[in-house]
Amino acid sequence: MSFSDETPFQINIPDEKLATLHAKLELATFPDELEDAGWKYGAPLADIKRLTEKWKSGYDWRKHEKEINQELPMFTRDIEVDGFGVLNIHYVHKKSEVVDAIPLLFCHGWPGSFLEVKKILPLLTDSSPEHPSFHAVAISLPGYGFSEAPLKQGFAAKQYAEVAHKLMLALGYSEYVTQGGDWGFMITRKMACEYGGKHHKAWHTNLPVATPPSWKSPLSFLAFLLIPWSPEEKAAIERGEWFRTKGSGYHAEQSTQPQTLGYSLADSPVGLLAWIYEKLVLWTDNYKWSDDEVLTWISLYWFSRAGPAASIRIYFELAGDRRNLGPNPTIPMGTSYFPKELVAMPAAWLCRVNKVVSESHHTTGGHFPATERPEELVQDVRKMFARGSTAFAIVPGKTGYA
Amino acid sequence: MSFSDETPFQINVPEEKITTLYAKLDLATFPDELEDAGWKYGAPLADIKRLMKKWRSGYDWRRHEKDLNQELPMFTRDIEVDDFGTLNIHYVHKKSKVVDAIPLLFCHGWPGSFFEVRKILPLLIDPSPEHPSFHVVAISLPGFGFSEAPRKQGFAAKQYAEVAHKVMLSLGYNEYVTQGGDWGFLITRKMALEYGGKHHKAWHTNFPVVEPPSWKSPLAFLTYLLKPWSPEDKAGLERTEWFITRSTGYYAEQSTQPQTLGYSLADSPVGLFAWIYTGLTFWTDDYSWSDDEVLTWISIYWFSRAGPAASVRIYFEVGGDFGGFKKIGRGPSVPVGTSYFPKEIVLPPASWFRNMNNVVFESHHKSGGHFAATERPEELVQDLRNMFGKGGPAFAIVPGKTGY
Repeated sequence: MSFSDETPFQINIPDEKLATLHAKLELATFPDELEDAGWKYGAPLADIKRLTEKWKSGYDWRKHEKEINQELPMFTRDIEVDGFGVLNIHYVHKKSEVVDAIPLLFCHGWPGSFLEVKKILPLLTDSSPEHPSFHAVAISLPGYGFSEAPLKQGFAAKQYAEVAHKLMLALGYSEYVTQGGDWGFMITRKMACEYGGKHHKAWHTNLPVATPPSWKSPLSFLAFLLIPWSPEEKAAIERGEWFRTKGSGYHAEQSTQPQTLGYSLADSPVGLLAWIYEKLVLWTDNYKWSDDEVLTWISLYWFSRAGPAASIRIYFELAGDRRNLGPNPTIPMGTSYFPKELVAMPAAWLCRVNKVVSESHHTTGGHFPATERPEELVQDVRKMFARGSTAFAIVPGKTGYA
Repeated sequence: MSFSDETPFQINVPEEKITTLYAKLDLATFPDELEDAGWKYGAPLADIKRLMKKWRSGYDWRRHEKDLNQELPMFTRDIEVDDFGTLNIHYVHKKSKVVDAIPLLFCHGWPGSFFEVRKILPLLIDPSPEHPSFHVVAISLPGFGFSEAPRKQGFAAKQYAEVAHKVMLSLGYNEYVTQGGDWGFLITRKMALEYGGKHHKAWHTNFPVVEPPSWKSPLAFLTYLLKPWSPEDKAGLERTEWFITRSTGYYAEQSTQPQTLGYSLADSPVGLFAWIYTGLTFWTDDYSWSDDEVLTWISIYWFSRAGPAASVRIYFEVGGDFGGFKKIGRGPSVPVGTSYFPKEIVLPPASWFRNMNNVVFESHHKSGGHFAATERPEELVQDLRNMFGKGGPAFAIVPGKTGY
């Protein structure tokens, strides 16, 4: 097998896959629902029925496929992963007009995808004397989008980080910065620990968490107990409590029995739709999803190269990484706080264990800020690397300005 | 709408439902699998593919439907539930030849069903001078089997207990005993709390669950801290820990977002099958499920009156009652018998259960798991016979119904 360098990529789902989807939707069987259930027991029946009906007739995949192909310059290339062989990786890559733009990797999570870069891409690459510009790379993590999935067990944070890092190197970005949320937080954090300093110069995240102080560090722990929390922090803790007690069922199953769940997600488009749609609504801040937006998002999972079941294995494989985050990165960190994010901790803690050089607090927005608050997110990233900031020119020679 | 008294019931799944099942199986799309995955990530691909192929062609639902109709005398009747209106309830009812047999309600859980009474039914009703006999009722809980499901929110332990109790009363069993595991444990326990003494005379469970002693009961807590664990206790705690860390994903989803999961279970027979088959394998003690057994078990869910999504709501509605099994509290004063099977999924030390309940009978087995009526039918029935038989701790607890 020959090792493939960069190959331009266009999404082109075979007709047969569309036909199968359609046939399954025609046969869709729905459950009933308790009276006045609303969102209390999960995604409402009326929503799922409406979206299924639209997916079946009304939603035009080919139109959206074409738009993605036109808007996002995409490629694939082979990446060798130690112990796992070669994986063919799919990514978006767009350079700014600004020659010395800052190379930035955007890293999604679950149930996200490369498509989350759509709204922020033109803003990141935009050139202006007022703000820095970026050469943007949006990877499809192995097992997502049109990247291959690992075939062997044990593909964990180290391996995801390795793939992302090697991709940047392959594109000629020996030094780069990152932006990530959800699993993108875990993976870019791992990159910072493995490649920080020499290659990975700074990282920005919209899921700013760290291992909380334990009783082993009495002073920190005491501080943790005693620091009065702001109203914003109190709200975030309540949100976190909701997530832990009511919103983590998917997490428990995906991190223990991903294959068992995978049979449903692979066989039932309605099941997959409900599974993901619930998150798109519960995890955002009153974001007005259009039907087409939702159906495109979920179609990417349905039509993904490895299939939707592969995407949830990350929960099982990275369970160890989650339990034990390991040492904190030492490279500069930027943080964005959105009130409807799922987990948060007081910013003061984070600053004790990470080198936070840029921090932004927002009054609206949730788990998918690249979709919900693209301008705000990009503004935060620009602020982190702007002239006069601590992280300005952190990638030597790539200031982001013309 | 007229209130229906007992009506004989035969399962007769409409042909259209079978056609739809086959159409879906013909279109089945499978995921891939990691190399050498075995059971590590969930149900193995080879198992699921093989069984789906069999379900589609090889497995004869009509034959098993007929067998069930012949073996299990079934009925439906309307039961009025306070604040929830009328629910049409499906049950098995078979009387022993022994006139004064002990009325016993068998109460299943999830992913169980009335089907679990199949092996123990002939043993329970069997007449002999050597052991007591029972008149047996095996209810399909609301939302399971061929019982209607509640339409309103909040159908919790109280309501399930009320339905089961009213079924017994309507059958003329003013005084009765119960056997239950899984949700059947919680529901029969609730029955004992609500109707114990007057109606519900004694209960037996193969799922004797209780939370650890807390500092609120100092003596029990001290014992908990200081007493050396027996090998069986240790094994039980290890098994419990395994279950909690490796096998409660379904519980977390079903108790928080049952509707979201329900779309998958209702739309994909493959998904439903894998979901239940995982439990049937993990929770049993090397039980050799035959393909037909497992396909019948899961077909009952697929063809159930309320659909499979309704069955998982119990986790949301009743799980809330008990703080997710963390706040069970002190048990009823009504006598209870317990059977311990080593591959049960939650196995606190027997002493904890004894501390909180009026345990009059206890039995420990060397094999068997969560589905005792299927895995160890003789042993389970023997336990009931020992509990309620002559010389047993609950002999003649239902006055005049000694079982002989």
